[in-house]
Amino acid sequence: MDGPVAAEALIAARALTKIFRRPVKDPGTIGALRHLVTRRYTEHVAVDHIDLTVHAGEAVAYVGRNGAGKSTTVKLLTGVLVPTSGEVRVNGLVPHEHRIANARRIGVVFGQRSQLWWDLPVRESFGLLRDMYRVPAVRYRQTLDELSDVLGLAELMPVVARKLSLGQRMRADLAAALLHRPPIVYLDEPTIGLDIEVKDAVRAFLRRIVADGTTVLLTTHDLADIEDVCRRLVIIDQGRIIHDGDLASVRDSFARERSIHFQLAAPVDLAAVAPRVPGGQVLAGRTGTEFSVRFDRFAHTAGEVAAAVMSTVDVVDFRLDEPGIEDVVRKVYAGELSPAAHPA
Amino acid sequence: MTSLRPYVGLALAAWRSVQAYRATFVLGLLMLVFNLLAMLALWQVLLRSRGSLAGFDWPHMKAYLLVVFVANCLVSTYSDYTMAMRIQSGLVALDLTKPLDYQAARFAETLGRVALELLTAGAVTVAAVLAFGGLPLPGPGQLALFVVSLAAVVPLKFLIVYLTGMVCFWTQDYLGVNWARVAVSALLSGTLIPLAFLPGWLRDVAFALPFQGTASAPALLFIGQATGARAVGLVAGQLAWTVALCAGTRWAWRFALRQLTVHGG
Repeated sequence: MDGPVAAEALIAARALTKIFRRPVKDPGTIGALRHLVTRRYTEHVAVDHIDLTVHAGEAVAYVGRNGAGKSTTVKLLTGVLVPTSGEVRVNGLVPHEHRIANARRIGVVFGQRSQLWWDLPVRESFGLLRDMYRVPAVRYRQTLDELSDVLGLAELMPVVARKLSLGQRMRADLAAALLHRPPIVYLDEPTIGLDIEVKDAVRAFLRRIVADGTTVLLTTHDLADIEDVCRRLVIIDQGRIIHDGDLASVRDSFARERSIHFQLAAPVDLAAVAPRVPGGQVLAGRTGTEFSVRFDRFAHTAGEVAAAVMSTVDVVDFRLDEPGIEDVVRKVYAGELSPAAHPA
Repeated sequence: MTSLRPYVGLALAAWRSVQAYRATFVLGLLMLVFNLLAMLALWQVLLRSRGSLAGFDWPHMKAYLLVVFVANCLVSTYSDYTMAMRIQSGLVALDLTKPLDYQAARFAETLGRVALELLTAGAVTVAAVLAFGGLPLPGPGQLALFVVSLAAVVPLKFLIVYLTGMVCFWTQDYLGVNWARVAVSALLSGTLIPLAFLPGWLRDVAFALPFQGTASAPALLFIGQATGARAVGLVAGQLAWTVALCAGTRWAWRFALRQLTVHGG
């Protein structure tokens, strides 16, 4: 499998598989005792023959439902978990065999867990990480200055980690993962539980590290994270990659529908409006003075649609809704988007 | 190549972390203090009427119990509790993304806590000496050997605790494993009763196992029950078990990692 493409790839997984074996225990003491004698297990295939190639500088969104295998993949790529079968190489190294060498070159954020030392001020956690990754003093100060600007670390530095709010903690955790300027960053749900304002700050920050050439694998539930940061979309479901492709082209193919919402001066009969709107689907609003038009953005421009409506009725206000990646993913789950139709 | 600095940092972080939970830490040691007081009171009564039992008179028994107490304070329950919890909660995943040897990192943290454990044990020992009278001190050579033996308790006990903690990778449960270890260790380390009081065959078994190296060995050296070749043999036994367990845990670690299950986040 080591073709020229694989040789250049920063992350290369071939038929990567992780099966967890869970003991089946009947409830109660009797169940526990029985388990000692007759061991029964169920097998759960968390990651199922995944092929994934990521090149240096790419920003990949790794999306899927709860339990789809996103986090497990990240843990296989970081060397935390040992694969049941298949191959994985990151920067030429097998992560679980060269865990420490691999760890030097990666930054990891697990959104649901903090890597800060709970009982130390943030500043001291950072100092500890500096020593761990052997960051030279000058470069450390420089990196910290840069990160402070974007993430607003100054106010957090003297605070003991357990006293940080969730948003503050995430900012500190992001900085902690990047202090050694790793060429690869794995972000596992970095915006989970954050309010909009902090989310925006985190996304702005991620855009910046991607622009700087850092390779990013972003695992998330929040599809807005992706549109902001990534160019490539990989969708995983039940342990299998069911889509892998360019984000913009996927969106163009599968998120064609735009909507314009109109607010009117007086109620109108929608049946009379509909024939005049080009190629659109007219939908009633919550009240008689509101309605929406859904149309294919490649067939008609918003201007055409708006002009057509406004020549018919008295419009007070209108608002345009762009299609989101949510639509794409929803379609993938619904089985409308097959991997064969859009190969990677 | 390998720098010690991050490990020193971890030790300091652990030391500070224990201070943040000083109350929990002290309460944990309180159990050992009560145990010590009970043992002292019990043996004082027994030996006052009998004079000496199995080679122990009251001053030597007192010294034995105090050394065993200090040894038991080292790498006490807090250490394996923290390690087991990190495995159970999945935080171990974060530990494994760090460019550090996992075992060495945990040992560094253990050393950070040992510093505080020594201080606490020292304070209790002074109080006990004031309450129960002075101790017979060994000669300088024997004392030096005792210090080495007490120091050897730390890595040896760490490895036993580490090995039990590692069982969590398979069992996903820690309490049962820990209780089993504490029970076996109490008997075979000479904590419950000096090994000289055990029936012959059990005593032989106990001396062949690593547990005696975590309490009995330094205590026998301190009270002078083991001298000369026997004393050197006890310390050599501690070190040999340390080396063997270190190799064993490193070998088992590879299999443990295959067992690791971390769900979600």
